[in-house]
Amino acid sequence: MASEDEINLLVIVVDVNPIWWGQQAQRDPQFTLSKCMDAVMVMGNAHMAMARTNKLAVIASHCQGSHFLYPSKSWSGEDGGGNDVSSSGDGKYELLSAANNLIVEEIRNIMSKIEVTGNSTDTLLAGSLAKALCYIHRLTKELEVGQEIKSRILVVKAAEDCALQYMNFMNVIFAAQKQNILIDACVLDSDSGLLQQACDITGGLYMKIPQKVALAQYLLWVFLPDSEQRSQLVLPPPAHVDYRAACFCHRNLIEIGYVCSVCLSIFCNFSPICTTCETAFKIQLPQIVKPKKKKLKQPM
Amino acid sequence: MTSLSEEVLLVVKKVRQKKQDGTLYLMAERIAWGPEGKDRFTVSHLYADIRCQKISPDGKAKVQLQLVLHTGESTTFHFANESTALKDREAAKELLQQLLPKFKKKANKELEEKNRMLQEDPVLFQLYKDLVVSQVISAEEFWANRLGGINNTDPSPYNNKQEVGISGAFLADIRPQTDGCNGLRYNLTADIIESIFRTYPAVKQKYSENVPHNLTEKEFWTRFFQSHYFHRDRINTGTQDIFSECAKQDEKGLKTLVTQGVKNPLVDLQSLEDKTLDEGYGICTTQPSTSNANKSVKDSSNSAIIKRFNHHSAMVLAAGSRRGELASDQASETSSTDGNSRDSDFFQPPVKKVKLQEAIEFEDLQRENRPKTVPLNLKKSDRYAHGPVPLQSQQYTTSQDIINSVNYIRHEMASYKPSLTQVRAQTLCAQQRV
Repeated sequence: MASEDEINLLVIVVDVNPIWWGQQAQRDPQFTLSKCMDAVMVMGNAHMAMARTNKLAVIASHCQGSHFLYPSKSWSGEDGGGNDVSSSGDGKYELLSAANNLIVEEIRNIMSKIEVTGNSTDTLLAGSLAKALCYIHRLTKELEVGQEIKSRILVVKAAEDCALQYMNFMNVIFAAQKQNILIDACVLDSDSGLLQQACDITGGLYMKIPQKVALAQYLLWVFLPDSEQRSQLVLPPPAHVDYRAACFCHRNLIEIGYVCSVCLSIFCNFSPICTTCETAFKIQLPQIVKPKKKKLKQPM
Repeated sequence: MTSLSEEVLLVVKKVRQKKQDGTLYLMAERIAWGPEGKDRFTVSHLYADIRCQKISPDGKAKVQLQLVLHTGESTTFHFANESTALKDREAAKELLQQLLPKFKKKANKELEEKNRMLQEDPVLFQLYKDLVVSQVISAEEFWANRLGGINNTDPSPYNNKQEVGISGAFLADIRPQTDGCNGLRYNLTADIIESIFRTYPAVKQKYSENVPHNLTEKEFWTRFFQSHYFHRDRINTGTQDIFSECAKQDEKGLKTLVTQGVKNPLVDLQSLEDKTLDEGYGICTTQPSTSNANKSVKDSSNSAIIKRFNHHSAMVLAAGSRRGELASDQASETSSTDGNSRDSDFFQPPVKKVKLQEAIEFEDLQRENRPKTVPLNLKKSDRYAHGPVPLQSQQYTTSQDIINSVNYIRHEMASYKPSLTQVRAQTLCAQQRV
């Protein structure tokens, strides 16, 4: 029987870069990965409790890949339930407790198996976003006739941007824009230009949290309402996004520059040959005006 | 202003203007009026400035002539001479009618043309507004690029309207009505007359020869309709009909048409004959062993009718394709479809070739004529992959740091127990900004 209600899907992508979190835990023992996961779980529970048709997915993103914390492959929906240690006796909504337990188990598994090499210390966020998009797409295809789904992605970002992921990131952003999927960003530490662009392009909300300890509050206040409800609330204003391009020669952000008409590479200074595609340009040099010789007046 | 160095074409006395008596002078390039007794002209307009003239209706007591200028103002002259007022006005009107068209300002025509172009093309109009009105480029530069052909006197490129062709049924539309007694009444409009002239140039020729010297228009048309030329039975009676020549010309034309045949080598008209299987299945053509005398009258009149219709259709089509050359008498460049043109044979080979080429060449298979572009040849394509992130010195983490962090986090997560009720720090509640 197809339900008439709209399905709201929230995919939370959590950055669990072990290096950053390890350093963070040493810096500030009050806010550790455990606290972060608690806040994320509270957010997930709140979302699922808002309506019966709300759905949740959580992806953990680290240096070596990304992993679905919930729903997990090992979990079957119709579990016995009763025998599990997970079913707590406090009358909590079964789904919520099951989800929480699953998330905890999975994150423990990931963290115990994680191996980090010196080369790859960056979070593979673009890949995780791509996985999120694929998951959303799969769910959209599995809908029954007459059902509608609205999805959004919430990124909880900890570590810094990786410049090498730029291309993939932009592809993901434009794909999300085409599918009308919002990308929200909750940034813990350093501002991320890529996520700012993502939020600007897809229409989501970007926020850098002033106090990491209050992560749960920010998540519930800013990122819990979906896009229709956001118009009715007073939320933090959108950040000004720096869309300036970086020149290919020095990687400086420039506002006015030279663009090669063949390969579209950007330069800050003019050069007669484009270094990327080796096209020679003909440009008119400014006319050199020869000073006119003054005629000496002849004595009459 | 008093010396009349120009040639005076007409002087009309007793013309009032603004309740003053005076004299109207029509000169070579302008029209002027001076009050009675004075030497100078108070009113003077160049013919080029005059847009049109208007006259008061014939029944009115006041005989007036009004000149409307391009600027919109108008001047009215009242012809006050009791006896000759009407004649004076008519004379003035005729002269103006002849002179005004000569002086239509060429510049004005250009302005009209520009206005028309702007009105017809909203994109052009928007461009004009953006560039010229906001003074990015001057109006002269703008029109210099656009008006490549404005100085041609040939109006046909700018005449975007299609010419109306001739209806094939125009002759049938002249439905004769009985007018009581034994006569018939034919209603001829100017359109029908024009159609007849365009389709049958022979009739036009006859018309120009005979009217108005020998016959009035009415008589001409009466004869036309009475003649056997018009009616079905085109038996050449040999009477002194002015139209018998037309009939002969038509016959000749038909014969030429047939001999010309169709220029397109791919069209085979011969295959369209009636093919009979047996008696009763289609038309059984009797062998021409029978002499001409046995041919029934019906057969010959049938064939006459068919011939007539074929000829009529051919003429209508030819008139349609000839429309652009009514002014000049050039022969059409394409193969003419009427038998009356003389130069058609000269152009025969090109048409055949064109048709054959059309049949064998396919546009898709030709080489594309795309503009030449510079081939793209990237030497350093990894530059594109780098985002607009300025090269900053990354935070360098030593491998020892890495190992430490990873161990720490592993340890922490191994003993991770969620405490969802402790999520909100007590101390921070009061500090939250809404």
